[in-house]
Amino acid sequence: MNKLLAEGFQPIDTLIKPNTNNPWSWKDKLLLGLTPQEYTKQLFRNPFNWILAIIYAVGIPILVGRFIFGLGWATHSSYDYPWGLFLGWGLFVMVPLSASGFMMGTTVELFGRKDFKPIERLGLLNGLLGYFFAVVFLQVDLGQPWRLVYPMFVSLGPAAVLFLVAWHVATYLSVQIAELVPATSELMGWVKPKKFIKSIVLGLTIAGIILSTLHQGALGALFTYAPGKVHPLWFSAAFQWFHFFCSSIFGGLSMLIVVSTLSKWFLQWRCDANFTKNLDKITLGIAKGCSLALITYLVIKLVALAHDNEWGYLLSGWGQLYLFEITAGSILPLVFFTMAIRTNRAGLARFAAFVAVFGIALNRLNTALITFNWHLYQEIPHWREVIIALTVYATYIVVYRAVLYRLPILYTWQGDSK
Amino acid sequence: MGLKTGKQIGLAALIAMAAPLVLPVSGNGEVFELSSLASLYEGVSFDHDMHIEAVEDNCSLCHHHTAGTPPENQTCIPCHKDSPEADSPACSSCHVIEPFSSANLSISEENSLLHHKVKPGLKAAFHQNCMGCHQETGGPVGCQDCHAMTEKGEKFFNTGQYAPKPGKETGHH
Amino acid sequence: MKKLNRRNFIKGSLAGGIAAAAAAGKAKNASAAGGDFGGYPDSMGVLVDMTKCVGCRTCEAACNKEQGLPEPDKPFDDYSVFDEHRHGGLPRRTTEKAYTVVNRYNVEGREHPLFRKIQCNHCNEPACLTSCFVNAYTKTPEGAVIYNPKVCVGCRTCMIACPFYIPAYSYSSAINPVVKKCIMCYDTRLKFGRPPACVESCPQGVMTFGKRKDLITLAHEKIEGNPGKYVDHLYGEHEVGGTSWMYLSDVPFEEIGFDTHLGKDPIISYVKDFLAIVPMVLCIWPALFTGFHLLSTRKQANKEESTKA
Repeated sequence: MNKLLAEGFQPIDTLIKPNTNNPWSWKDKLLLGLTPQEYTKQLFRNPFNWILAIIYAVGIPILVGRFIFGLGWATHSSYDYPWGLFLGWGLFVMVPLSASGFMMGTTVELFGRKDFKPIERLGLLNGLLGYFFAVVFLQVDLGQPWRLVYPMFVSLGPAAVLFLVAWHVATYLSVQIAELVPATSELMGWVKPKKFIKSIVLGLTIAGIILSTLHQGALGALFTYAPGKVHPLWFSAAFQWFHFFCSSIFGGLSMLIVVSTLSKWFLQWRCDANFTKNLDKITLGIAKGCSLALITYLVIKLVALAHDNEWGYLLSGWGQLYLFEITAGSILPLVFFTMAIRTNRAGLARFAAFVAVFGIALNRLNTALITFNWHLYQEIPHWREVIIALTVYATYIVVYRAVLYRLPILYTWQGDSK
Repeated sequence: MGLKTGKQIGLAALIAMAAPLVLPVSGNGEVFELSSLASLYEGVSFDHDMHIEAVEDNCSLCHHHTAGTPPENQTCIPCHKDSPEADSPACSSCHVIEPFSSANLSISEENSLLHHKVKPGLKAAFHQNCMGCHQETGGPVGCQDCHAMTEKGEKFFNTGQYAPKPGKETGHH
Repeated sequence: MKKLNRRNFIKGSLAGGIAAAAAAGKAKNASAAGGDFGGYPDSMGVLVDMTKCVGCRTCEAACNKEQGLPEPDKPFDDYSVFDEHRHGGLPRRTTEKAYTVVNRYNVEGREHPLFRKIQCNHCNEPACLTSCFVNAYTKTPEGAVIYNPKVCVGCRTCMIACPFYIPAYSYSSAINPVVKKCIMCYDTRLKFGRPPACVESCPQGVMTFGKRKDLITLAHEKIEGNPGKYVDHLYGEHEVGGTSWMYLSDVPFEEIGFDTHLGKDPIISYVKDFLAIVPMVLCIWPALFTGFHLLSTRKQANKEESTKA
């Protein structure tokens, strides 16, 4: 794209082609206003696409194989370890990292902080795609994915926590799709949908907060079904859902910083001045939210240790893993975020965000996979499982990028014409 | 001319009834075919005489109190110290073939005496009594040491001619 | 700039409220008011006396035939299976092809090894039932915990939840994989008042079938009537809320693979606290956050009103 920019390429940000009376066609909007040849050429030039090509070449056959040969072929899921990387990564890690949707909606629409508006849509998109692909991962993991709607319409088990997760994710996806209708309306030139959504945006935001609080917590509560199976340092009968909910706050915000950083670095051409100019300030603002959530999280983790008198476990091997996770995943980002805020360095905040995302991933993987069945043996995911997870995650990135290229997320729509 | 028919029969009966009293208990050459439960295994050819010798005439070791001798178990003594010989000391007269049928369960429910409630079925009684003693005295304890497996049994246990072919292991970890 | 006049507020809250209510109606807390369930009063049960088991595996064969399970890997009279170990050096467990297994434990000082039969314990308040979001499991009044494979989605939460590691999954199937476990021969026997196939087949009378409450009395009478013979504990009487299958042993339970740290509370007790806050959040959050909104945007709304005036 940089080469095209140098040649005078202008990304689309209006309905009408500049200096003409002709509107952009849907083909133009799809191909970014380039000719098909120019579009394919830039596809091949992008080195990231070569990596994607390799991933897909290996991954697609194996993903198809999972549905032909079953889970026994594709995973190391066993009777003792029913859940593997698909849920461990795709659901438990990706969902807290997608909490940016309700965080940004709340910040801008509920609390009226319009200064965060430039990044609001990116937060909403991050949330939507994260949850959507969490469902994709779920479909890959379910034994009978065609029965996905059973808990909704066929046979309901309302006392189960997973029931809540299923309904909430479905409802929340609808909320998030609705919240992204304005952006889509701008690109497509619709008027009524955008107006309608704007009129109910407060209700949507509150619905988003309710649903997010509950299902972020519910994912933690899932482990209360197996109180003895998760190591005590990662399990708290009383506070599990609080831990998951609180960590999702800084998880979502940190992921938003990470994504905005990646957009700044790799999608420079698509970001408008409104975004790039305000990004550093916004990043530091988000960093403040992250640090508050992080210190809270650290304290409630300590409270859980004290509540169940688990100090002795800290001296064991598992304790070392726990201390590493807390230090590298929570204390370190907290320190860096705070330093960044005090010294006004957005770059440091960005680094802290990357570390925080790593910390969240480590915590969820520890809870769901590594310390699960700590009394028994360790389960290493099958290599096919890793490849499939990578393939689906790559698809998430591809879709993410495709949307960012086109919808007015990183740039402001200029209206009908400039 | 001898006795009238009726008196002949009566005399024969008298002699027959007195026979156990005059003839020694052992030495009948009696081998019981225990086959009421035969299905997966053949019936058992049970050498009663050999066992009488083995227990040195202490019937209560196998027959509890039903052979007219006081039982071994101290728990039973208070009630059965002087119990007479039962109508039939055979195991099957007390131990039923289906102990958990609803009919039998309701009988057990009404009967509040412990050992009657835990009275094993016939199959269990045979195995617990026989194998229990065999384990202590070095008698046969293997399944086919006492009763050969039938073809039905081979199918049931997936063994013999019905054994799974090697190298066909399926199933997950 | 969106105006927060009454109309828009009501519209917004209604939309949010409908979304919330839709989720609220579904995420009801289904716990009983107050105490635990404790099982149906006339629930049947099985008492397993491990002092009697000789490891003949007839029960495994009986189960295999009664439930129409696939051919085993080894004959049922092949006792080399007792030497098999799975991952992590653990003994055999229930699988998609074997709803019950017998394991051998060599106990120091005991003349013969101890044999332990493993199968679903048919808990009074089963964790599997609690965790299933398609309501596939049912605790029948007869005591068996059965499941409906026709609604099973394959999420495998029940396998996560079961403290005894019982449910297995037919991972080998790509078309119709479902959860597999012992159903106490409900469809073919228990429904008609007959004992499960394993109980009936046991030559040693290891298992006693009867009403659960009677079996508890029986077990304690056995313990008292044979001082020193049994460990003074009926496993399953109270564990995780009580189970229908209970065990007597002459060897301490923790030495023969039983989890003795399970506690008396049924698994659902650990989840109830979270389930209870769900309706609270659904009811409190709307007003709370609307309040936050009104409080934090008042300055802006005032400014707008003053510019209009």
